[in-house]
Amino acid sequence: MSTRRRPAAPRSSSSGMTENEKKILGFIRSKQGMGATKYEITAGTSIQQALVTKATTSLKKSKLIKEVSNKGGKHFLAVEFEPCKELQGGDWYVDGALDVSMIEDLKEICVNILERLKQKVVTLEVICSCFQKASRDEYKLSRDQTKVILDNLVLDNVIMEVKSNGSSEHSALRIGEVCYKLIGKKSGGGEARDGAFASIPCGACPHIGLCTPDGAISPTTCVYYQKWLDF
Amino acid sequence: MTTTEFGIVYAVHIITSHFGSVASKVCECLLRRGPLSSREISRLAESDINHSKVKDILYLLIQHNCVQAFSIEPPDGSESKAIVQYIALFSNILHRARYNKFSSKVVNEELGSQCSGVLDGLLSNGRLTLEQLIDRDRDSKKQMGSEAIRDSLQKLVAARFVERVPSPEPVLGNKDEGPAQKKRGAKPSKIFKEPESLEERILEAATPVDAIRFPFIFEQGSSSTVADDDSNISEGKRKQPEVDYTSGPSNEVIWRPNFEELIRRLRHKACVEIVKERRDEGCANVMKAMLEVGRSQEKKAKTDKSVRTPIFFSVPMSMGSIYEELIKTDAGREMTQERVEACLEQLSATSSYLPAFVIESDGSYIVDFKSIISVAQKDEMESVVMRRYGKEAFRMFRYLSQEDRFVETDKIADAALTEKKDTPQILLKMWKDGYLHMQKLAVTGVYIPFLLWKVNKLIVSRQMLDEMYHASLNLSLRLTHETDSEKELLLLPMEKLEGALKERRNKYRAKSVLLTSARFKLDDAIMLFHDF
Repeated sequence: MSTRRRPAAPRSSSSGMTENEKKILGFIRSKQGMGATKYEITAGTSIQQALVTKATTSLKKSKLIKEVSNKGGKHFLAVEFEPCKELQGGDWYVDGALDVSMIEDLKEICVNILERLKQKVVTLEVICSCFQKASRDEYKLSRDQTKVILDNLVLDNVIMEVKSNGSSEHSALRIGEVCYKLIGKKSGGGEARDGAFASIPCGACPHIGLCTPDGAISPTTCVYYQKWLDF
Repeated sequence: MTTTEFGIVYAVHIITSHFGSVASKVCECLLRRGPLSSREISRLAESDINHSKVKDILYLLIQHNCVQAFSIEPPDGSESKAIVQYIALFSNILHRARYNKFSSKVVNEELGSQCSGVLDGLLSNGRLTLEQLIDRDRDSKKQMGSEAIRDSLQKLVAARFVERVPSPEPVLGNKDEGPAQKKRGAKPSKIFKEPESLEERILEAATPVDAIRFPFIFEQGSSSTVADDDSNISEGKRKQPEVDYTSGPSNEVIWRPNFEELIRRLRHKACVEIVKERRDEGCANVMKAMLEVGRSQEKKAKTDKSVRTPIFFSVPMSMGSIYEELIKTDAGREMTQERVEACLEQLSATSSYLPAFVIESDGSYIVDFKSIISVAQKDEMESVVMRRYGKEAFRMFRYLSQEDRFVETDKIADAALTEKKDTPQILLKMWKDGYLHMQKLAVTGVYIPFLLWKVNKLIVSRQMLDEMYHASLNLSLRLTHETDSEKELLLLPMEKLEGALKERRNKYRAKSVLLTSARFKLDDAIMLFHDF
């Protein structure tokens, strides 16, 4: 008779599990793509934290659940579910990381649209329809997603949001309708001034709090001043 | 706004540069400790200065309008005498660093070089009589002549750039006058700022009524106008000053620069510039006309002290009066009434991008100075945030400024489209440097408390102002350092320099110009936060 041990059969969802594990797995499955944290599992199943930890470790080993980490902590999901967008961070996250290059591309597209249409007033709908005609699927943004990108450009101080006031420029629009314009003299929008303080080394200096007239960091020893005056 | 630490350090540096280290010790004592008597200063100042020396320095600083004496009425029935105390005038000390702006940007442009020459005399000497101005002119290389001096002084007084010196030692009542007790005569308009701090009360008590402060009659002779004796200066109580430094040798009026009006003109110029940058040339011309209309209307209304110079808003004015003023200028004559109306509409419009600069009410228009200045202040703040903390921090700062309430970290990350894991570090950096306000919110069941963030504009303004004083000090110290490093080279005549020495000299000159012009522009930003 062979003395080799037969490899253990993989545990099915219903066999070889403790009662706690079954209860916890059921709870996690009920959360689908949102998953559940250890705290939520403890609260939802009334099982002690230590036992939850033991059970989740076991379920992970059995490949019945997986772990997804984000800012809110570790979430456990049943393997058959994909993590939802909120768990990954949102619309703009891919594999848990912000897709910065895609966001920058989308912002550039918005700026190009506004530049092309600078003689006209551009509403959210107009920009949205431009995105809908995009060749790449990931650039086909919804209305809400387009608004997020435009709001971000407003925060970048690249475009401004204006409300139609019935003047000749906005004659084709309802009063109060939101539209967008590029910032800058050429586009007819005003320009923010470059700050006087920001244009000298002290304005940009991260160590200004440590700088004193006679200290180790001082205007006479400052390397930023040295570079600024080195022309 | 109370003085910040580097505000004091910078003010002390200015006094040291102009009057020496002993004077700066007296000044620093007053700036740090508040109003003191001369004996207290002698006792408390760093490296004890004897009482006689303290008095000399105080007279010097009073001469140059950096200090004001005053006393407080002893309580009723008390036998004690009122003690003379001295208060440092922080704003006036800072004005010393911008005298050339008052001369070149304001007076020279408006009244010409002769008037700015007379103003220069008053700025460098602190205060002078007409006779002293004429004597000074006789000793100068380019003489103007006594008639021209007299004429220029009259123009300066008429424009309110020069005023009679205030009361030397006003006496403040010892009772705290609350708002309910203040109603004497006409109720001050709500658009004017009420005096609040001790310094403001002292200056209010020291300042004579306009008719005396800016005398209209200006006759020839030594007693040119009503002399500066105590009965004419102030409505408040007076006591005999220990030394009479209000009148000249022949009891003439003593004149000094009126910083209030000079700063006001600089503020008006700044407002026109801001409107030009944010709107257009047409709107800037309309704004200029409105400010001019405002000034002439205020002048007519100002017959007594209770009508103070407006701080936040101009007086209301009609479209007609604005247009009449506008067409006096070449640029204004090119604008039709329709264009002016369109500009006024633009200036009165509010958007999420720009607030209204003008308030329209029943066909009248009022300039909203606070709104215009706030736009420039915002630009300064956001520029610093961008340069110091980067683009993502800039978006977060602008988002929080818009929201004007506490917002949780993740929400900020979503709005600014920044990595959730990086967002707390960026926010913490800004918070550590005083650019953000932070609160922790503990929630039951959540182990790590939520962090909430907010932009508190007053706190950020104060922080920025302190840093700008610091930066201005640094620019001055660096210039001194560069000059000291090349002091031997600077002794050599320029025409005799060649090769490497000439290049070094040119490089020094370029550095000097850069440092000086940077300090000049930074001072404009300081005025945005402190004076305007």
